[in-house]
Amino acid sequence: MTREEWVSALTALPEECLTELVKGFPADWNVQPTSLPQVGLGMMKMKESAFNESFYLGEFPLASCTVTVTTESGDRAEGGALVMDDRMERAEQLALCDAVLAGRLPGWQKVEALLHEGSARREQINLERKAMLARTKVDFSLLEDVGGEDA
Amino acid sequence: MTYVAIKGGAQAIEGSKLAYEYLRSRQGVNSLPLDTSTIENQLRLLHSRVISEGGVYHPKLASLAIKQAQGDTLESAFALRAYRSTMPRLAETEALDTSRMRITRRISSAFKDIPGGQMLGATTDYHLRLMRMELLDESAEAFMAISRSWFEGLDVAQIPDSFPKVLDGLRQQGLLAETPQQPQQDQPFDITREPLIFPVPRSAALATMTRSEQGSLLALAYSNMRGYGDVHPTVAELRVGFVPVMLPHPISGKPMEIGEVEITECEVVAMYESDELGGKPSFTLGYGACFGHNEVKAISMAILDRSLQKGMQGTPSNPSEDPEFVLLHIDGIDSMGFCTHYKMPHYVTFQSDMDRLRATQNKHAAEDQKS
Repeated sequence: MTREEWVSALTALPEECLTELVKGFPADWNVQPTSLPQVGLGMMKMKESAFNESFYLGEFPLASCTVTVTTESGDRAEGGALVMDDRMERAEQLALCDAVLAGRLPGWQKVEALLHEGSARREQINLERKAMLARTKVDFSLLEDVGGEDA
Repeated sequence: MTYVAIKGGAQAIEGSKLAYEYLRSRQGVNSLPLDTSTIENQLRLLHSRVISEGGVYHPKLASLAIKQAQGDTLESAFALRAYRSTMPRLAETEALDTSRMRITRRISSAFKDIPGGQMLGATTDYHLRLMRMELLDESAEAFMAISRSWFEGLDVAQIPDSFPKVLDGLRQQGLLAETPQQPQQDQPFDITREPLIFPVPRSAALATMTRSEQGSLLALAYSNMRGYGDVHPTVAELRVGFVPVMLPHPISGKPMEIGEVEITECEVVAMYESDELGGKPSFTLGYGACFGHNEVKAISMAILDRSLQKGMQGTPSNPSEDPEFVLLHIDGIDSMGFCTHYKMPHYVTFQSDMDRLRATQNKHAAEDQKS
């Protein structure tokens, strides 16, 4: 899984999972924002398929955060996250996990384990959607077999 | 003439708010307040409508808006728009398309054998419009069993992750005009920041229609369907699903998925036209897309997109081809606001109306006496 897929996996899980994980990081770590954490909106630009023209479909909530984490032993890592959410703490938690995992800071294995859980949950959601398609796939050949044909 | 300052309404307004709350809770002593997840899941099409008309994809706040507006779609969308107006714009995505859409429904009325197949997904299209009386007394156990048995006997391995577009097949057969490699304008029109001053580009029309009020959009599209227009659409493809929203990762700069958005998208093929420059005749197209699962809206938008294209090229021959007529009358918040403002006190203006009427009546009476 690439770094760019981590947010998608972690946000697939119940929110408490991430909150609990982050609570478990050592309190004496120095976590400094490297840019102003922000909460606001993103604008979704779409390319329509008739003429390949772009237009704005609408907005979505967006929280962003980048941090530098320095551990008690002096290890340092930079992390960042953007998430479709309007809570700063959500972006902060994800940025912290991003730093821990990218910098292999103490506790990274727990983040990785949660990542795998999230990825499995994401896959489960995909399977549910595919099940919707599998259950409702139209078999037109059956109509032809019995001599029927749609208009 | 001046406005008349009055007071005395504050207590009544407070009481009115309490009455509004009272009606929400009068179900009985054992009633529970609606939770937002229930609204999102069990009233999902209402939820989709509000999220689309509000113009901001925030499922939780859309549910809250429905709850606080007690199901009024216009008020709910208004609350969402008010929320968005308080938030700064932080980013804009690259132009996303639906090629990677995680599809939950996909149909075509143009061909039965479309690449990847037709999947009905969740639809009321084939329901009998008869009351399902069993839902009046639905047990929690039976309700939960529906999702528990969902995967039984299903082979989901055969389902691909993405599906080709029906339009691409028509293009390969030379039945559609080639799409321009470069879009006509680099930056689309942003209706949240610029007023609609006509003529407006197509991107302004698409953005206005995608967050318009569904009933208004349908009414104007219906006028075209019934004969005040000549689009005669065929649905090449209607797809519902989730589009991953991509933005650059703050550290690596590579595209990352920050979330996903449910979208309904419709492409209609309309009657073919001869190329005025002597090119090959080809079918024309209309496009519709909106947040949420909202098929009537996406189809209506696609029809109106096609009719507006015609109107933008020349003189509109009917209301649905007139960009000004269509785009200025489909926004639910605008039209609802104008409508409901008539409930507000108009004591001074009406007093003036009465004065003028009385003066006219007196003049009329005087003329009668003279004659």
